[in-house]
Amino acid sequence: MKKTLIILLVFIMSVPVLSACWNQKELTDLAFVMALGIDRGEDDLYHISFQLVNPGNVSAGQTGGGQGLPIAVYKSNGRTMTEAARNATKEVSRRLYYAHTNLVVISEDVARDRNLMLNLLDAFARDPEFRTTTELVIARDSTAEEIVTTLTILDKLPVTKVTKEIKFTEAMKGENKSVNIDEIIDGITGNGKEPIANGYRLIGMKEEASKATNLQKTTTDAFLAADGLAVFKDGALIDWIESNKSRGIIWVLDKAKSTDITLKWKGKKNALSIVPIRSKTKVSTIFKKGKPVINVKIENEGWISEANTAINLMDPKTIIKIEKLTENEIKKEVKSSVKEAQRLKCDIFGFGDIVHKANPKVWRKLKGNWNNYFADIEVNVKVNSYVRREGVRTNPFWSDINK
Amino acid sequence: MEKAKVSAYQLFVLIVMFEMGSAILLGLGARVKQDAWMAILFGLVGGILVFFIYYRLYMYYPELPLTSYLQKILGKWLGRLIGFLYIVYFIYVASRVLRDFGELLTSTIYNSTPLFVINTLMILTIIYLLHKGFEVLARVGEIYFGIVYFTAILGMLLIVFSGLIHLGNLKPILENGLKPVIKVFLRETLTFPFGEMVVFTMLLPFLNDKKKAKIVCVGGMILAGINITITTIVNITVLGVELYYRSPFPLLTTIGRIQIADFIERLDVLFMLYLVIGGFFKIAIYYYAAVAGSADIFQFKNQRKLAFPIGIIVLFSSITVASNFAEFIKEGLVIVTMYLSWPFQIIIPSFLLIIAFFRNKKKKTSPA
Amino acid sequence: MSILSKMLKNKQKKRQDDNYRQKQDPLKPEDLPILRDFQENISRIKEEVGNSSDVNIREFKIGTHKGALVYVDGLASSIAIADYILETVMEAEVPEGPVDIFQFMLDKTMALGSVKTIDNWNQVYDSLFSGDTVIFLQGSNKAISGETKGWERRSITEPTTQLSIRGPKDSFTETLRTNTALIRRRIKSPNLRVDSMKIGAVSQSDIAILYIKGIANEKIVGEVKERLQRINIDSILGSGYLEQLIEDQTWTTFPTTYHSERPDVVTSHLLEGRIAIVVDGTPFVVTVPAIFIQFFQAPDDYYSRFDISTGIRLLRILAFLIAVIGPSVYIAATTFHQEMIPTTMAIAIASQRENVPFPAFVEALIMEVTFEILREAGLRLPRAVGQAVSIVGALVIGQAAVQAGFVSPVMVIVVSITAIANFSTPVFAMAIAARLVRFVLMGLATMLGFYGIMLGIMFMSIHLCSLRSFGIPYMMPLAPFNLRNQQDAFVRFPIWAMKNRPMFISKGNMQRTGENQKPGPPKQSENQSKNGEE
Repeated sequence: MKKTLIILLVFIMSVPVLSACWNQKELTDLAFVMALGIDRGEDDLYHISFQLVNPGNVSAGQTGGGQGLPIAVYKSNGRTMTEAARNATKEVSRRLYYAHTNLVVISEDVARDRNLMLNLLDAFARDPEFRTTTELVIARDSTAEEIVTTLTILDKLPVTKVTKEIKFTEAMKGENKSVNIDEIIDGITGNGKEPIANGYRLIGMKEEASKATNLQKTTTDAFLAADGLAVFKDGALIDWIESNKSRGIIWVLDKAKSTDITLKWKGKKNALSIVPIRSKTKVSTIFKKGKPVINVKIENEGWISEANTAINLMDPKTIIKIEKLTENEIKKEVKSSVKEAQRLKCDIFGFGDIVHKANPKVWRKLKGNWNNYFADIEVNVKVNSYVRREGVRTNPFWSDINK
Repeated sequence: MEKAKVSAYQLFVLIVMFEMGSAILLGLGARVKQDAWMAILFGLVGGILVFFIYYRLYMYYPELPLTSYLQKILGKWLGRLIGFLYIVYFIYVASRVLRDFGELLTSTIYNSTPLFVINTLMILTIIYLLHKGFEVLARVGEIYFGIVYFTAILGMLLIVFSGLIHLGNLKPILENGLKPVIKVFLRETLTFPFGEMVVFTMLLPFLNDKKKAKIVCVGGMILAGINITITTIVNITVLGVELYYRSPFPLLTTIGRIQIADFIERLDVLFMLYLVIGGFFKIAIYYYAAVAGSADIFQFKNQRKLAFPIGIIVLFSSITVASNFAEFIKEGLVIVTMYLSWPFQIIIPSFLLIIAFFRNKKKKTSPA
Repeated sequence: MSILSKMLKNKQKKRQDDNYRQKQDPLKPEDLPILRDFQENISRIKEEVGNSSDVNIREFKIGTHKGALVYVDGLASSIAIADYILETVMEAEVPEGPVDIFQFMLDKTMALGSVKTIDNWNQVYDSLFSGDTVIFLQGSNKAISGETKGWERRSITEPTTQLSIRGPKDSFTETLRTNTALIRRRIKSPNLRVDSMKIGAVSQSDIAILYIKGIANEKIVGEVKERLQRINIDSILGSGYLEQLIEDQTWTTFPTTYHSERPDVVTSHLLEGRIAIVVDGTPFVVTVPAIFIQFFQAPDDYYSRFDISTGIRLLRILAFLIAVIGPSVYIAATTFHQEMIPTTMAIAIASQRENVPFPAFVEALIMEVTFEILREAGLRLPRAVGQAVSIVGALVIGQAAVQAGFVSPVMVIVVSITAIANFSTPVFAMAIAARLVRFVLMGLATMLGFYGIMLGIMFMSIHLCSLRSFGIPYMMPLAPFNLRNQQDAFVRFPIWAMKNRPMFISKGNMQRTGENQKPGPPKQSENQSKNGEE
């Protein structure tokens, strides 16, 4: 009898639980936000574009794949990110769901404004639904909205194109680096390192980018491409580093894996092409008379992908010469990148962090004025390149051509 | 006292899961930034020393839980009074831990669900467990120990394979010297989680092999301590010092960063498995100590009847303890450590030990 | 007030009825002695069986004494009666003079293997309805019961459950003696004890309790016997009745007794120290005590090598887990924790669910219930048609439901995988438990997502850990953890490494494999040349 009473009590206590399901969201009630575009609107408001997925038109499922477009873009304004997001609910028939947001595009206008830039970052970090490992890019010469509304051929979802593209170009060319929101915030808060971000352009006829007719051609009228690195100082974008100088930066940051290096040989230009496949960079600091000196040591190994001149690749001495040339080339690039960063008085490499970790006392003295100190710091670059193989041909056919 | 017997291995398992329970989730020692792991190791050593106080008391009275030998040492009425205070302490801490876990769930995954619901369900399950007795608690602990370890190792492997660890983040070591570390050690890591072994003074009499008590408890503490240290190191190396300080639940943030092969990501929900289990055991053990203590002091024969009412008390106090998260944390850092943990975990047992020492000396010298 | 008092009165009346029943069961014959006048005996029998046409009474004369032979046609073998009793009776040469005809019959004429002397009517009817022949003699107040059992019995065929590829293919039948014989053939030791009992007020079913003395735990044997003797029920029609009456706890979905149709399984259990209960009239033999991990061991595990059996056993446990939490995980992931699903898959599922009108829980419920109905229907259909209909039915209905927009294809997949995983559990009783738990977890998942599932699993583990089967903790050897007993739990060590019997079952006689049993290639002596020639 007592047992039944207790069981009854337990059931009564569970009633409030059974009455509703608070966090339950049906999949059909959600709108997956794949990408966010942040622009500056009138009156300094945030002007946000939400790229939503249209699930029925994405999968090659059995409900006969649709003729419709895979994405839909909605826009809204607001003084803060949260306000803009909630204002958007007046336009979208579903609840906006951010857990699958893979890309955030910030327009250059917003990035250059310190206030606007910093005010949008906390919303990303604090919301449990949002992933801080989301990729972040800066829109160059176009609005974020334009980038977010572009359709792409190879990938149904444009956001996949951007994220995959950044990943592959980081691995294959080394002029862009994958940057996520965590890294931006980390860079802004610490003294020892400033963040960088990728730049993205919409190239071609911008009006055509969001139309379905854009996809009907083999070469689309408008497409997206990565271009250059954005340098942030003190929480705002100050300048761009163009592609020819950005590779060196990626090298120092130890993110370069594979790329191509063109060499001159015996007076002939563009004679050799070396492809490193693995690269490792070590940055350390030593102290001369109490002042820090940075040593950058790069080691990579690779193979020869092109030999456009008569050259004896089977001779080890030739290979050594090629290695030396490669090392010089890399050293030149890295030095020019460092100079560029020093010109901007912006420590994007994290040298400050390294000094901090090596000798906290010296760092304490320098950290207040680090960026200026960085502009004059001595940087030594040492490169070790190894060319291991030459592909599946030995000597190039150039040696056999009848001259 | 319930007639239950647990084996050495079962006690070991319970100690490890209890110590790791909530400690592994929170950012311990965040105030000393990258030296937090050192503060934890100090806490481990200090905790073992404090444990020896409990162990000595246990050796004097191997069959009695804390509330009983309180009465023996201090006399019936004073002992009962202090025993009652201990019970209130246990209930309070149990409700704090329950609130902790509820907060974790509501701030991350279940943000629209009322705290009351989450806490109620957890308490109901624990009430069911206590209704079955301590032996069942030990057995369930054994089963989940394996699962917890497996999940932990899996998580560690995933983190390593994601390439997230930057050992350099641990430098510079002892940037501000040893003093801040010692301060944090005394204020925080000694009493939480290692000082909480005081609960086991209620449970040691259940051990069936008395000689193994020392090795089991110390071994359990060491294992748990090492686990917490490793977790802290991983957290700092993955997140960096600033983020470690800013996250209320650093381990959750670390797990959120795992990204492998494009589809293994966003695993924090799976991580919830661990935390439900960890919280479960911690609350259950504190709660059980309170029930056993009440049965002892108020002379109840059937202690299972007490499980339900005390559970309700724990549930309601977990809601009323603080009205928002900030108040809750502040209370924990300031009031609990200074005014509750130190007296109950260290000061009172030391006094007890001294008095017990003199009493037993008298016993030995006086003719039997 | 009046309702409560009525309830109390009914309770009282019930108790009185029970007491009355125990005292005076009009169906139970009294322990009356047999009368000396055999005519009276015969008329008493005729009266008590009420002219049942299959009770035959044959009067005969041995020497000058009269006697009567009673047997039940169909239970007793008429050939045995004719050849071994009547013939010898007819040809008996009774010595002249006063002679104890009873002893004479017993010693000289009953050419049977087993004869008994009985002296009260209980035993008369017991023997009669067991297929024995009862012989009354004039002037004797005792009767002879001769063993002449010979009814139609099913031949030994392949078992219908627990099929094995590599093991023996005989199974128990409905006859008690055949079953005990099958076990005896495998354990040729005098320590195998077969204790008999009769249970069932009306049915008087024969029960045999088998155990190996010296290996089985005496306390458990005593406990089993005590529980069996406590049973006061009309009849035991199947071993399932027994299980339900002697198990430790009724309020649980998990079985605490094991049953099997295979003699090799029962034999191995006996050798581990368990106790088997054979019930006449059913081919399922019950073994106790039972522990959780036992329900995942299949006979084939032991006839194959250790690596494959370990792998498959782990697979079975995984399948059990899938069967229990499968649909709940799907519901939790798609309604609460969509962030867990990889993006492309989330979009694919979302597109499929666009057309479905029901929320995920209702969808899952519909599919599960439909599947259960299909499975149940498949059992009833005649064998030829049954298989085809259930497979085709499932496919067609699933496909049609998807196209009609009832359910999404993902749901069909989830439910099918769950159902198939469910069938991989070797013992049906455990599979049923999984099914029930699954529904509860589904309900919890729909209310609180993963947290609900976790709490549900916690609840289940607490429940499992608190179960005991005849005093043995149900979750042995997992909890309390015992390193030595892991040899046959989740993994299976090679046979030569399974040295000891499970420690929890028996106290004495632990070792079952000798030392140095590990096989290896033949050792080469120095005299032998490399080619193996002498």
